[in-house]
Amino acid sequence: MSGFVQVVRAELFKVLRKRRTYVIAGLWWGLLPALGLIIGRLVYVNLGASFANEAGGIDVAVQQIASPFGLARIALVGPAYLAPTFYIIVITLFAALLIGEERGHAMWKTVLVAQPQRFAVMAGKIAVAMLALGGLLLGAAASAALLGAIGMTFLPTDWSGEWGTLAGLFALQWAFSLTGVLFAFLLVFLFKNMVLGIVTVYFLPGLLEGLYSIYAATVGFQPVNRLNVFFQTIALQQRLEDIPRYFYTANAYAPARAPVSELLAGLASGGADIPPDAISQLLGSSITLPHAALVMAGYAVAFGVVLFWRFARHDVE
Amino acid sequence: MDHAIVAHSLTKRYGRVAAVDDVSFEIAPGEIVGFLGPNGAGKTTTLRMLAGLIRPSSGAGTVLGRGVPGPSLRDVGTMIEEPSFYPYLTGRDNLRHAALLHGGVARERIDEVLAFVKMEAAAEKRVRAYSQGMRQRLALARALLWRPRVLLLDEPSNGLDPVGIAEIRENLRAVAREGVTVLVSSHILAEIEKLVDRILAIEKGRLVFDGPLSRLLARAESLTLRYVLRATDPAALEAAARTLGLVTERSADLVTVEVPAERADDLVSDLVAAGVRVTEAQRDQDDLEDAYLRLVQADARPA
Repeated sequence: MSGFVQVVRAELFKVLRKRRTYVIAGLWWGLLPALGLIIGRLVYVNLGASFANEAGGIDVAVQQIASPFGLARIALVGPAYLAPTFYIIVITLFAALLIGEERGHAMWKTVLVAQPQRFAVMAGKIAVAMLALGGLLLGAAASAALLGAIGMTFLPTDWSGEWGTLAGLFALQWAFSLTGVLFAFLLVFLFKNMVLGIVTVYFLPGLLEGLYSIYAATVGFQPVNRLNVFFQTIALQQRLEDIPRYFYTANAYAPARAPVSELLAGLASGGADIPPDAISQLLGSSITLPHAALVMAGYAVAFGVVLFWRFARHDVE
Repeated sequence: MDHAIVAHSLTKRYGRVAAVDDVSFEIAPGEIVGFLGPNGAGKTTTLRMLAGLIRPSSGAGTVLGRGVPGPSLRDVGTMIEEPSFYPYLTGRDNLRHAALLHGGVARERIDEVLAFVKMEAAAEKRVRAYSQGMRQRLALARALLWRPRVLLLDEPSNGLDPVGIAEIRENLRAVAREGVTVLVSSHILAEIEKLVDRILAIEKGRLVFDGPLSRLLARAESLTLRYVLRATDPAALEAAARTLGLVTERSADLVTVEVPAERADDLVSDLVAAGVRVTEAQRDQDDLEDAYLRLVQADARPA
């Protein structure tokens, strides 16, 4: 246990002295809510007094975007809809710092003599990545709320919102990030070239899932043909058709994507009837959280076992 | 008495190639042992196995009575190959990181080791701005940070100028006086002969000599040494050397001569007496190493 604590202290010391940590924090804590606030202000100034706001729809939209709750929700949802997502970018940067640079600077030979318990070393590094991500998420929510509070002085917004649910989603997204951390650590550790490792983290899941989707769309599983006869024989068609629901990227951001239909419905409100399921399908947020949690736990176990096993047997050349 | 370091039939294979082949030795606490061999002989691989960084294909190593890798490594300090650091951290912060990683190191200890290697003035600079010599000294400071009982040093004076080599040697002497067991590798005997009492020599992965330095040096007396000479008139130098019965080779204005070790002291005076103005004479270190290795091969102990 003490070895683990020592690694956590040492790696936190390192992370806090790395400029990129503060660049990420600046982008997430400052830029994103500031953009939300500016958009909210522009919408309100340009449309607030127009006929479009007769039913109060613009006020509602501004509340959705630029209120403390709205900005905090955007701080959670926004990063999940980039490609690659901001979450995986941040995770990969920490993987590069905590794992890739040890090889790049030939530091494993020093680290593993100062702290020969390899399990503690890897567990400590994972913990530091999770702590850093937790800090960034917490800071993102706090800064969004703070800027939203400032926005209340010049926008028709207030503190209302489902804060408890949102806090739960933040916590869940943080927990889900463990799988991403294990995945990124594994690939950055396995690839001798750190850049290649990072690129793989960004694009491998999407590539594999895309290939599968192309196969499913062009060849399919029914009717029987030369390419799927095997699957037909072993009667796995249904399972294979279900596979996209188990894809990494379909599940990794489920908590962050969960509020998107509520957000869009809010934006369109003023009352328009938008079937929530349709929005969810469109934006890839149809996966339920319990399902996603199970899938991500499975991936985490698989990535974790391979990572710790490879690291324990690694020869530091 | 428990040995500080034991290598028992250590072997490391990469495919069909044995980088280290059945190497065994024991080092007593407080002993300072030189690990000699040409580049690629297996010194670094052996040290890496003893430091728990790579797993032996067969055999085992123990440090301070316990198998490696294992908890005994917490009492070991290492400098393995090129000194490496986080370049974006200062020298002091690199030591602080290592101290946190190891645990149980007081902040004052960082100041102590920085002072020991005379790096206080540069401690607040980022390591990316350090010279090779500064990196070597900082690496030694880091190796000493947790007051190790065993030091494994791989070519600690590599890339240093003569002043740097002398400083490292002085530092290691001071460490050894405190009773620390030191295993220090080099491919240049001259670098470690003033430091160690015992030599382990390795070639092509096999231990070929294990004994006191004095025995090695006594045997070396019968060697033929090579000197590289420069004179105002290289042709006259070459002719004079031949007249003295020495094997001679000339390349541009440099003349290389082979001289029996017992005549080496008189070489320059003999040439001057023959009317040659010798402007430079340098012993060919590499050749000396080759000669040592030929010698130790002949003295190889049975496997």
